[in-house]
Amino acid sequence: MSIEPQTEQHLPFTCTLDCGSRCVLHAVVRNGVLLRIDTPDDADTPELPRLVPCARGRAHRGMLNASSRLLNPLRRTGPRGSGEFEPISWDEAVDEVSAALDSARAEHGPQAILAAGGHGSGGGRGISGAAAMHRFFTHYAPVSYLTGNMSSHSIDLAARLMLGDILPCSDRADLLNSRLIILWGMNPAELHMSHNTARFVADARERGARVVLIDPRWTDSGVLADEWIPIRPGTDTAMVLAMCYVLECKNLADRDFIARCMAGYAEFADYLLGRNDGQAKTPAWAEGICGVPAERIASLAREYAQQSPAALLPGWGPQRTLVGEQWSRAVLALSCISGNVGIPGGALATTSPGGRPLQFAALPRGPYGMGRTLSAPAWAQDILQKRLNPPVTTALITASNLVNRSSNTRANIEALMGLDFVAVIDPFFTPTARLADIVLPAATEMEHPDIVSSWGYDLQAFWSQQVVEAAGEARSDYAIFAGLAERFGLREAYTVGRTEAEWVEYMLSQSQHEQPLREMGVYRGDPYPRVALREFRQDPAAHPLHTHSGRIELASSGAPRYNLPELPEYSEPVPTGTEDLPLHLLTPHHKLRANSSMAGNPWLQELEVQRVWINPQDATARGIADGDRVEVFNRNGRVRLPAYVTGRIMPGVVCIYEGAWYAPEDGVDVGGCANVLTGSELSPSGGTATHSFHVEIERAGA
Amino acid sequence: MSNREGFIIDISRCTGCYACAVACRDRADLAGDVIWLRVPLEERGAYPAISFNYRPTHCWHCDDPACLPVCPVEAVTRNELDLVQIDTEVCIGCGACIEACPFGAVTLVAEVASKCDGCADELAAGLRPTCVRACPMRALEYGSLDVQLVQKKPDAAFDDHGIGPAVRYWVTR
Repeated sequence: MSIEPQTEQHLPFTCTLDCGSRCVLHAVVRNGVLLRIDTPDDADTPELPRLVPCARGRAHRGMLNASSRLLNPLRRTGPRGSGEFEPISWDEAVDEVSAALDSARAEHGPQAILAAGGHGSGGGRGISGAAAMHRFFTHYAPVSYLTGNMSSHSIDLAARLMLGDILPCSDRADLLNSRLIILWGMNPAELHMSHNTARFVADARERGARVVLIDPRWTDSGVLADEWIPIRPGTDTAMVLAMCYVLECKNLADRDFIARCMAGYAEFADYLLGRNDGQAKTPAWAEGICGVPAERIASLAREYAQQSPAALLPGWGPQRTLVGEQWSRAVLALSCISGNVGIPGGALATTSPGGRPLQFAALPRGPYGMGRTLSAPAWAQDILQKRLNPPVTTALITASNLVNRSSNTRANIEALMGLDFVAVIDPFFTPTARLADIVLPAATEMEHPDIVSSWGYDLQAFWSQQVVEAAGEARSDYAIFAGLAERFGLREAYTVGRTEAEWVEYMLSQSQHEQPLREMGVYRGDPYPRVALREFRQDPAAHPLHTHSGRIELASSGAPRYNLPELPEYSEPVPTGTEDLPLHLLTPHHKLRANSSMAGNPWLQELEVQRVWINPQDATARGIADGDRVEVFNRNGRVRLPAYVTGRIMPGVVCIYEGAWYAPEDGVDVGGCANVLTGSELSPSGGTATHSFHVEIERAGA
Repeated sequence: MSNREGFIIDISRCTGCYACAVACRDRADLAGDVIWLRVPLEERGAYPAISFNYRPTHCWHCDDPACLPVCPVEAVTRNELDLVQIDTEVCIGCGACIEACPFGAVTLVAEVASKCDGCADELAAGLRPTCVRACPMRALEYGSLDVQLVQKKPDAAFDDHGIGPAVRYWVTR
C-alpha cells in the first residue's frame, strides 16, 4: 500500500432517512478514510434550488463511531430486555434465526412469523432495509407483514374518498406564484427540509406573499410566517368548516368550479347552514370549539378566497388525531370550494407518500405473497389482545425501531416480550434491539451501494455509492438476507448470482436516468412547476378523477365503510380517561431526527436537549421554571425530562418531540420517548392518533 | 475598510436547522465539546404576542478583536486575510480571550482556546465558507459587507460592541 497521500475523492451518496427529502451528499474520502461530507456548490436558481442537506445529512460521520453503533452479532444472555448480550459469530447468529423461523413455521405455519420492515434505511426503497427483507420472505413463505401508513393514513384516505387517488401535489416551486400561504399544522422548517419547501415559502414571502401559520405551537416555521393563529389541538375541523360557511354565506365560494368539478356540494352546504342538525357552522360556533376568534376565522376565509392564488398547505399533524380523516376531508373541501385548486399558486399540497414514482427497477419480490397483514398502528394490540389466529410467535424486525416509533411504547414492549423469538437487524443498538434474542449489525448507507428515490411526488433519484468499509462485522441488509436465504437453499433464488453491487449496477442500467445518475449521483425531474389538478380543472370531462362521479366528491357513499359519515362533518375528539389529565400532548417530529433515526448520533443530539414545551401560565401553576426537571405522565407511562417554558406554545398544550430513544430507569423513561405517553386508540378508520392524548406534569422529585 | 468582506446573515430566513453548525464541525473535525458555530434561539414578548429568531454566531474576525490584546502570550493574531487566528502551540489556555469575546465565539478544550478559523483554505480555493454553502435557506452569504439587501433592514437587535465584527445581520422590513 502506498504511503503517498492520495488526492481527495468526492463520492456522491445520499442520506436514506425516511424524512421525505433526499439530498446529494459528497463523501470526501482519502485512502479509504472519510474526511468530511461536502455538498456540490452548483447551480441554484429560485425555481430549481440546490438540494442542500440538512443537519442530519451533514452529520453522517458522527454515526461512524457512535457508541450506539452495533459492530458484532449479539445473542441475549440475560432476561429479555435486560440489555445483556454476548458477541457471537455470524454463522451462529444466522443459525439461530433460521432455526427460529423454521420452528415457528413448523409449529404454527408461516403466518406466525412477523416480518416487520421499517423505513429506517432506504426509506423502504432501493436495496436495503424492508426491500431486502421482503425479497427474502417472499422467497421463503407467506409470512405476516406490517402494512399501513403511520404517517399519512387519514389524509391518504380522505384523498381517495374525495379525489379517487393519492393526494395530488403541486411542485414546491409553484409556491412562488402564491399571494397567500396558509401553513395549517404544516411545518416545513422542521420537516423534509431539504426539498426547499421552507425556502420557497421564504422566497414567496419576499415576493410579497403573506404567510399564516395555524398551529398550537409557534414552530420554527414561524420564522417564515407573518402571523400565528394558535388553535386547540384536534379542533381544526371546526375552524375549517366555519371558513367554508363564510365562503358559502358571503358568496365567495367558486360557484363555477363547484358546478363543473365537484359533487355533493348541496348536501355539504346544507350541513354548513345547519339545515339538518339545527347548528349553523358559524365562526362563533367554531370559536367556542377551537379557540380562534370568530372575527379572525371570518377574515381569513375572505382573504383565502379573495387573495387568490392562495396555497393552503395541510400538514400531517392534524390528521394524526382521533378525528384525522374528517379534518383531512374538510380541509381539502375548503381548498376546493375556495377556487384556489388547479391554478398556479393554489397548491393543494406539496407532499404525498405516493404519486408518480420514478421509473427504475426495484429489487424484485419472490413468488410468495403476503400471508397476512397486520396494521402498523395496531400490531401490538393485535398480539396482546390475542386477535390473531395463528398467533404471531416470532418477529424479524429490520430497519425499524418498532417499540419507539409506534404509539404506546409500553404495550409495544409487552407485545414483543411475549413472543417466542425476536431478531432485530439494525445499524444501532436501539431500544427495540435491546428486546431481541439475536441482534444482527447492519451497514449504514455509507457502507453499501444503493439506488433510491424521494417520496413519490418528488421526481428525484439518487445513486448512492459505498464510501467506507462497513464498521466492525456489520453487513448490508442485502448480504444478511442472502446469508439467511442460504440456510434454506434459497441463496441462488435470492441473489440470482448477483452481488449487491451488481444488483445496483443492474438497477442503474435499467433506469431511464442512468446518465445523470452516473455523472452526478442524482437525477432531478422536470424543473417546470407542476400544478395539481390543473388539467382536471380546465376540462373535467376529459380528465375525470377516479371517483364514482369523476368529480371531487364532498359527500362520499364509501365513507361509512371506514366508520365515517358521508360528509366531512365535525366530530369531537374524545379520548378516554382524561378527566384528571388537563394538558394536551403534541408529539411532532424533530428536525434533528427522522422519527427515531439519528437519535443515536451524538453530533445531532448534543445540539438540542430533549425537553417538554409548556406555556408559562401552565408552568407557573405547577411551580415549574424553565430548565427544571419534570415528570410528564398519564395512564400509559411516565417520562422525566427538563422543561422548556415558552410562549411559543398555547396554554393547555404541551409538546415532546417524538423519536428520542426510550431509556427506562425504575419505571420512568429518562430518554424522553414521547410514545411512552401515547395510547393505542386509533382514528375511526384505523389511523394513528398520536396527537390526541393528554398528560399531567409535575416537578421531578416533588 | 470599504471592501471588507464578511458574513451577511438574513435572520428572517434562518429556521435554526443547524446545518451550518454540523457542517462546521464536520469540516474542522471538531470533537464533541468544541463548538465553533452556535445557533442560539432568541425569544421576545409573551404569549400570544411572542416572536423569536435564531442567530447563527461564530468568530466574526473583528477589525479590533477583543480577544487579541488580552492574550498574555500573543497567541492571537490577524493574518493577511484579516482572519483572526489562535496559535494553539503558543496558547497557554488561560481563558482571557474567552472572557473578552462579546460574541462567545471561543471555547476552551483540553486547555487550548479554539474557534472558527474563517475557512481560510476554502476562501483561498475560491469557495464560500463551509457554513455559508451548507445553508439550505440561503440565510447565510459571504461577500462585501457594504451590500444592501432588497426589502431588508439591518437588525437593530445586534450589538457590534464597536469592535468591527465582519458580520451584518439583516431582517425583513
